[in-house]
Amino acid sequence: MASQDKSINTDVPEKDVFALHFLQSLSNLKTQNPSNSPDKTNDRVKKIKMAAYVSMARAAGGRRLWSRALLRRAASENNKIVRFPRRKRRVTWLSRRRCNRRAPVEEKAADRLRDLVPGGGEMETSKLMKETAHYIKCLSMQVKVMQCLVDGLSPK
Amino acid sequence: MDPPLVNDSSFSAANPSSYTLSEIWPFPVNDAVRSGLRLAVNPGRNFTRSVLVEHPGNKDVSAAEESTVTDLTAGWGGRKTRDLNSEDDSSKMVSSSSSGNELKESGGDKKRKMCGSESGNGEGSVRPEGETSSGGGSKANEQKNKPEPPKDYIHVRARRGQATDRHSLAERARREKISEKMTALQDIIPGCNKIIGKALVLDEIINYIQSLQRQVEFLSMKLEVVNSSAATGVFPSGDLGTLPIDVHRNIYEQQEANEPRGSHPEWLHMQVDGNFNRST
Repeated sequence: MASQDKSINTDVPEKDVFALHFLQSLSNLKTQNPSNSPDKTNDRVKKIKMAAYVSMARAAGGRRLWSRALLRRAASENNKIVRFPRRKRRVTWLSRRRCNRRAPVEEKAADRLRDLVPGGGEMETSKLMKETAHYIKCLSMQVKVMQCLVDGLSPK
Repeated sequence: MDPPLVNDSSFSAANPSSYTLSEIWPFPVNDAVRSGLRLAVNPGRNFTRSVLVEHPGNKDVSAAEESTVTDLTAGWGGRKTRDLNSEDDSSKMVSSSSSGNELKESGGDKKRKMCGSESGNGEGSVRPEGETSSGGGSKANEQKNKPEPPKDYIHVRARRGQATDRHSLAERARREKISEKMTALQDIIPGCNKIIGKALVLDEIINYIQSLQRQVEFLSMKLEVVNSSAATGVFPSGDLGTLPIDVHRNIYEQQEANEPRGSHPEWLHMQVDGNFNRST
């Protein structure tokens, strides 16, 4: 259903898939923790946010690096017992960049971008740009759909 | 002043084409007077021609020295690659004097710097010609006769080879790729087209992403309120068809407004189903 084969400019993130996944996870959350459960509001907000990101990653499909990183992060947060106490140190572009201090200004900005885009630390810079473009598209789509949901579902 | 005169006489005796050298030699003298960059540029060009004309037997020497000099210049050529990033690949294939000239100009700057550091004696005018390839201290005697011309010729070759260096080629290709992707990013982000400069564009991108992420957080807070306060019938099955009509319509309208799709019968079906479900 999602069209990941196209290039970056023509690739349109799928609103429907995202909305479907997001609503499913919302209803799951609602059935799992009803409103009188002892969960705090912050936890529920965090869960909803995580559900939004995960469904966005699912809508984007598994071919994008950022979506895979998001799903991996979500999976590691779901079962925290299995998680390693210290994250395994990968040789990432971020750490490699930070090793040599004489990086130009753009590379420093790209490092900050790597912190923002999920899974960005392992990307080479041009790949990072590509993933960032797709990530921004998906994020704006996500914001629009969530806005729609809030507008439509809020009690009049 | 004395060595130029000696050289001039010797070359005029040796070759008819030595008038180039007679043109050349006043220039280092003027160079010692520090009259300008042009004078530093001209001798190099003349030197290369004179070498090609006069010393065909010298080529093996130049070829022998070429490797060493390329190694020497590759050191500070790697430093130069950042400055040459806007320069296209034309200079690496061209062996004509045009690339030689523009490379000479950058070399001329260095020569002038050396002239500025040295005192303005006669040897100071001779030494900057060969100082890029060797220290010039050991060949002080040979510098009076011929050695500068081959070095300048080698110098051109080395600078040319620096452009075709595989590292700088790969670096240039990488930068082109990055800037291409960056322009694609600029098209996505609203109001980012007018910003000039990669760092500023990246800052704008980062700000945009952060604002979007903050928006998502805010909306999830809102949704949490909605989700906890709403009746149990809002998300009974997590299906799109069970959405309220206005939400449904909002999502679809936005989709149609943003990217008009040709034919999606599946979608129409679901929409009809949703409306039907809602109306019953």
